[in-house]
Amino acid sequence: MEAAARAIAEPRRRAILRLVRDRELSAGEIASHFDVTRPAVSQHLTVLREAGLLAERRDGTRRLYQARPEGLEDLRAFLDEFWAAGLERLKLAAELDQSRKDRKR
Amino acid sequence: MSPTDTTAVTHEVHIDAEPETVFAFFTDPDKMIQWKGRQAELDPRPGGVYRVDVTGEHVARGEYVELDPPHRVVFTWGWEGGDAVPPGSSTVEITLTEQGGGTLVRLEHRDLPESERGPHGQGWDHYLERLVVAAAGGDAGPDPWDEEGPERS
Repeated sequence: MEAAARAIAEPRRRAILRLVRDRELSAGEIASHFDVTRPAVSQHLTVLREAGLLAERRDGTRRLYQARPEGLEDLRAFLDEFWAAGLERLKLAAELDQSRKDRKR
Repeated sequence: MSPTDTTAVTHEVHIDAEPETVFAFFTDPDKMIQWKGRQAELDPRPGGVYRVDVTGEHVARGEYVELDPPHRVVFTWGWEGGDAVPPGSSTVEITLTEQGGGTLVRLEHRDLPESERGPHGQGWDHYLERLVVAAAGGDAGPDPWDEEGPERS
Protein backbone atom coordinates (compact mmCIF):
# COMPACT_ATOMS: atom_id res chain seq x y z
CA MET A 1 0.00 0.00 0.00
CA GLU A 2 2.92 2.32 0.33
CA ALA A 3 3.21 2.22 -3.42
CA ALA A 4 -0.37 3.49 -3.74
CA ALA A 5 0.29 6.22 -1.23
CA ARG A 6 3.39 7.35 -3.05
CA ALA A 7 1.62 7.09 -6.39
CA ILE A 8 -1.11 9.53 -5.47
CA ALA A 9 1.14 11.88 -3.53
CA GLU A 10 1.88 13.56 -6.87
CA PRO A 11 -0.92 16.00 -7.84
CA ARG A 12 -0.69 15.25 -11.55
CA ARG A 13 -1.16 11.55 -10.93
CA ARG A 14 -4.29 12.30 -8.94
CA ALA A 15 -5.49 14.39 -11.87
CA ILE A 16 -4.85 11.48 -14.23
CA LEU A 17 -6.88 9.13 -12.05
CA ARG A 18 -9.79 11.54 -12.01
CA LEU A 19 -9.59 11.79 -15.77
CA VAL A 20 -9.93 8.03 -16.30
CA ARG A 21 -12.27 7.14 -13.47
CA ASP A 22 -15.33 6.92 -15.74
CA ARG A 23 -13.81 6.12 -19.11
CA GLU A 24 -10.93 4.48 -20.86
CA LEU A 25 -8.42 6.78 -22.50
CA SER A 26 -5.23 6.22 -24.44
CA ALA A 27 -1.92 7.57 -23.21
CA GLY A 28 -2.06 10.19 -25.97
CA GLU A 29 -5.52 11.34 -24.95
CA ILE A 30 -4.41 11.57 -21.35
CA ALA A 31 -1.29 13.49 -22.29
CA SER A 32 -3.37 16.01 -24.27
CA HIS A 33 -4.94 17.16 -21.01
CA PHE A 34 -1.63 18.10 -19.49
CA ASP A 35 1.11 20.54 -20.28
CA VAL A 36 3.87 18.00 -19.91
CA THR A 37 5.85 15.75 -22.21
CA ARG A 38 4.46 12.43 -23.36
CA PRO A 39 7.30 10.48 -21.65
CA ALA A 40 6.49 12.24 -18.39
CA VAL A 41 2.87 11.11 -18.68
CA SER A 42 4.01 7.57 -19.53
CA GLN A 43 6.10 7.57 -16.39
CA HIS A 44 3.10 8.63 -14.30
CA LEU A 45 0.98 5.90 -15.89
CA THR A 46 3.60 3.31 -15.03
CA VAL A 47 3.72 4.39 -11.40
CA LEU A 48 -0.08 4.27 -11.14
CA ARG A 49 -0.28 0.90 -12.84
CA GLU A 50 2.38 -0.63 -10.62
CA ALA A 51 0.54 0.70 -7.57
CA GLY A 52 -2.57 -1.19 -8.69
CA LEU A 53 -4.61 1.96 -9.26
CA LEU A 54 -4.74 1.84 -13.02
CA ALA A 55 -5.76 -0.89 -15.47
CA GLU A 56 -4.07 -1.12 -18.86
CA ARG A 57 -5.70 -2.77 -21.87
CA ARG A 58 -4.36 -3.26 -25.37
CA ASP A 59 -6.65 -2.39 -28.26
CA GLY A 60 -4.74 -3.04 -31.46
CA THR A 61 -1.72 -0.78 -31.33
CA ARG A 62 -3.23 1.42 -28.66
CA ARG A 63 -3.03 1.04 -24.93
CA LEU A 64 -6.05 2.16 -22.99
CA TYR A 65 -6.13 3.12 -19.36
CA GLN A 66 -8.85 3.24 -16.76
CA ALA A 67 -8.93 3.57 -12.99
CA ARG A 68 -9.19 0.28 -11.08
CA PRO A 69 -12.09 0.23 -8.61
CA GLU A 70 -10.43 -2.69 -6.80
CA GLY A 71 -7.58 -0.34 -6.06
CA LEU A 72 -10.00 1.65 -3.96
CA GLU A 73 -10.58 -1.27 -1.66
CA ASP A 74 -6.86 -1.43 -1.13
CA LEU A 75 -6.83 2.27 -0.37
CA ARG A 76 -9.53 1.80 2.20
CA ALA A 77 -7.41 -0.82 3.88
CA PHE A 78 -4.58 1.65 3.91
CA LEU A 79 -6.74 4.31 5.55
CA ASP A 80 -7.68 1.77 8.15
CA GLU A 81 -4.00 1.41 8.83
CA PHE A 82 -3.72 5.18 9.10
CA TRP A 83 -5.95 5.16 12.18
CA ALA A 84 -4.29 2.07 13.58
CA ALA A 85 -0.92 3.79 13.35
CA GLY A 86 -2.38 6.85 15.06
CA LEU A 87 -3.56 4.78 18.00
CA GLU A 88 -0.17 3.13 18.29
CA ARG A 89 1.37 6.58 18.63
CA LEU A 90 -1.30 7.47 21.17
CA LYS A 91 -0.39 4.38 23.16
CA LEU A 92 3.27 5.36 23.29
CA ALA A 93 2.53 8.96 24.23
CA ALA A 94 -0.09 8.11 26.88
CA GLU A 95 2.04 5.42 28.50
CA LEU A 96 4.98 7.80 28.68
CA ASP A 97 2.73 10.41 30.24
CA GLN A 98 1.43 7.87 32.75
CA SER A 99 4.92 6.81 33.80
CA ARG A 100 5.83 10.46 34.40
CA LYS A 101 2.76 10.87 36.61
CA ASP A 102 3.53 7.67 38.49
CA ARG A 103 7.07 8.83 39.25
CA LYS A 104 5.76 12.04 40.80
CA ARG A 105 3.50 10.10 43.16
CA MET B 1 -25.40 6.09 11.19
CA SER B 2 -27.45 3.92 8.89
CA PRO B 3 -27.72 0.18 9.53
CA THR B 4 -26.13 -0.50 6.16
CA ASP B 5 -23.12 1.61 6.93
CA THR B 6 -20.19 -0.70 6.46
CA THR B 7 -17.74 2.13 6.15
CA ALA B 8 -17.05 2.67 9.78
CA VAL B 9 -13.40 2.26 10.54
CA THR B 10 -12.97 0.75 13.98
CA HIS B 11 -9.92 0.03 16.05
CA GLU B 12 -9.15 -1.03 19.57
CA VAL B 13 -5.94 -0.72 21.50
CA HIS B 14 -5.00 -1.42 25.10
CA ILE B 15 -2.96 1.28 26.75
CA ASP B 16 -1.12 0.92 30.04
CA ALA B 17 -2.37 4.22 31.36
CA GLU B 18 -5.39 5.37 33.32
CA PRO B 19 -8.47 6.50 31.38
CA GLU B 20 -7.94 10.02 32.77
CA THR B 21 -4.45 10.09 31.29
CA VAL B 22 -5.60 8.83 27.90
CA PHE B 23 -8.65 11.08 27.78
CA ALA B 24 -6.50 14.20 27.91
CA PHE B 25 -4.90 13.19 24.62
CA PHE B 26 -8.23 13.90 22.92
CA THR B 27 -8.87 17.27 24.54
CA ASP B 28 -5.51 18.90 25.29
CA PRO B 29 -3.84 20.44 22.21
CA ASP B 30 -0.30 19.88 23.52
CA LYS B 31 -1.04 16.23 24.09
CA MET B 32 -2.99 15.85 20.86
CA ILE B 33 0.00 16.79 18.74
CA GLN B 34 2.07 14.15 20.47
CA TRP B 35 0.13 11.54 18.53
CA LYS B 36 -1.65 13.31 15.72
CA GLY B 37 -1.04 16.50 13.83
CA ARG B 38 1.35 19.42 14.01
CA GLN B 39 -0.93 21.94 15.59
CA ALA B 40 -4.25 21.59 17.34
CA GLU B 41 -6.99 23.98 18.35
CA LEU B 42 -9.36 22.23 20.71
CA ASP B 43 -12.31 23.57 22.64
CA PRO B 44 -13.51 20.44 24.41
CA ARG B 45 -17.17 21.16 25.09
CA PRO B 46 -20.25 20.36 23.01
CA GLY B 47 -20.20 22.63 19.97
CA GLY B 48 -16.57 23.53 20.61
CA VAL B 49 -14.06 23.42 17.80
CA TYR B 50 -11.89 20.43 17.01
CA ARG B 51 -9.21 21.47 14.55
CA VAL B 52 -6.06 19.49 13.92
CA ASP B 53 -3.48 20.49 11.34
CA VAL B 54 -2.41 17.04 10.23
CA THR B 55 0.30 17.72 7.67
CA GLY B 56 0.59 21.47 7.32
CA GLU B 57 -1.53 21.23 4.20
CA HIS B 58 -4.38 19.07 5.43
CA VAL B 59 -6.47 20.23 8.32
CA ALA B 60 -9.05 18.03 10.00
CA ARG B 61 -11.93 20.02 11.40
CA GLY B 62 -15.12 19.34 13.25
CA GLU B 63 -16.91 20.00 16.51
CA TYR B 64 -17.08 18.21 19.78
CA VAL B 65 -20.48 16.59 20.14
CA GLU B 66 -20.28 14.84 23.46
CA LEU B 67 -17.77 14.62 26.29
CA ASP B 68 -18.04 12.27 29.22
CA PRO B 69 -14.60 12.35 30.84
CA PRO B 70 -12.83 10.03 31.10
CA HIS B 71 -15.01 7.51 29.29
CA ARG B 72 -16.26 8.92 26.04
CA VAL B 73 -15.64 11.67 23.55
CA VAL B 74 -17.45 12.19 20.27
CA PHE B 75 -16.56 14.74 17.64
CA THR B 76 -17.45 15.40 14.02
CA TRP B 77 -14.70 15.30 11.46
CA GLY B 78 -13.80 16.32 7.91
CA TRP B 79 -11.17 18.05 5.82
CA GLU B 80 -11.02 21.81 5.75
CA GLY B 81 -11.51 22.88 2.14
CA GLY B 82 -12.42 19.36 1.08
CA ASP B 83 -15.49 18.80 -1.06
CA ALA B 84 -15.76 15.06 -0.54
CA VAL B 85 -15.54 15.08 3.24
CA PRO B 86 -16.34 18.61 4.36
CA PRO B 87 -15.66 19.60 7.95
CA GLY B 88 -18.09 17.96 10.31
CA SER B 89 -19.44 15.45 7.78
CA SER B 90 -18.27 12.30 9.51
CA THR B 91 -18.15 11.28 13.15
CA VAL B 92 -15.42 9.91 15.39
CA GLU B 93 -16.39 8.25 18.63
CA ILE B 94 -13.80 7.33 21.24
CA THR B 95 -14.70 5.02 24.09
CA LEU B 96 -12.34 4.46 27.02
CA THR B 97 -12.91 1.48 29.29
CA GLU B 98 -10.83 0.57 32.32
CA GLN B 99 -9.17 -2.74 31.66
CA GLY B 100 -6.65 -4.51 33.86
CA GLY B 101 -5.26 -1.35 35.41
CA GLY B 102 -5.02 0.25 31.99
CA THR B 103 -7.44 1.46 29.36
CA LEU B 104 -9.09 -0.14 26.39
CA VAL B 105 -9.45 2.51 23.70
CA ARG B 106 -12.02 1.96 21.01
CA LEU B 107 -12.11 4.29 18.03
CA GLU B 108 -14.96 4.32 15.56
CA HIS B 109 -14.89 6.64 12.57
CA ARG B 110 -18.29 6.46 10.90
CA ASP B 111 -20.60 8.18 8.44
CA LEU B 112 -17.93 8.05 5.80
CA PRO B 113 -19.44 8.49 2.33
CA GLU B 114 -19.59 4.79 1.57
CA SER B 115 -22.77 4.93 -0.48
CA GLU B 116 -21.00 6.87 -3.17
CA ARG B 117 -17.81 4.97 -3.01
CA GLY B 118 -16.28 3.70 -6.19
CA PRO B 119 -14.98 5.15 -9.40
CA HIS B 120 -18.27 6.82 -10.34
CA GLY B 121 -18.94 8.65 -7.14
CA GLN B 122 -17.34 11.24 -5.02
CA GLY B 123 -15.89 8.39 -3.01
CA TRP B 124 -12.97 8.54 -5.34
CA ASP B 125 -11.98 12.06 -4.35
CA HIS B 126 -12.65 11.15 -0.79
CA TYR B 127 -10.14 8.33 -0.90
CA LEU B 128 -7.53 10.30 -2.72
CA GLU B 129 -7.78 13.12 -0.24
CA ARG B 130 -7.49 10.83 2.70
CA LEU B 131 -4.67 8.86 1.25
CA VAL B 132 -2.61 11.95 0.72
CA VAL B 133 -2.86 12.67 4.39
CA ALA B 134 -2.19 9.07 5.29
CA ALA B 135 0.85 9.09 3.07
CA ALA B 136 2.16 12.25 4.66
CA GLY B 137 1.60 10.76 8.09
CA GLY B 138 3.40 7.64 7.01
CA ASP B 139 6.37 9.64 5.80
CA ALA B 140 6.67 11.27 9.19
CA GLY B 141 7.48 7.86 10.62
CA PRO B 142 6.38 6.34 13.90
CA ASP B 143 8.20 8.87 16.04
CA PRO B 144 5.88 11.76 16.96
CA TRP B 145 8.82 13.72 18.31
CA ASP B 146 10.54 13.70 14.99
CA GLU B 147 11.54 17.17 13.83
CA GLU B 148 9.30 16.75 10.80
CA GLY B 149 6.41 15.98 13.10
CA PRO B 150 4.75 18.23 15.64
CA GLU B 151 5.97 21.79 15.78
CA ARG B 152 7.77 22.67 18.94
CA SER B 153 7.63 26.12 20.38
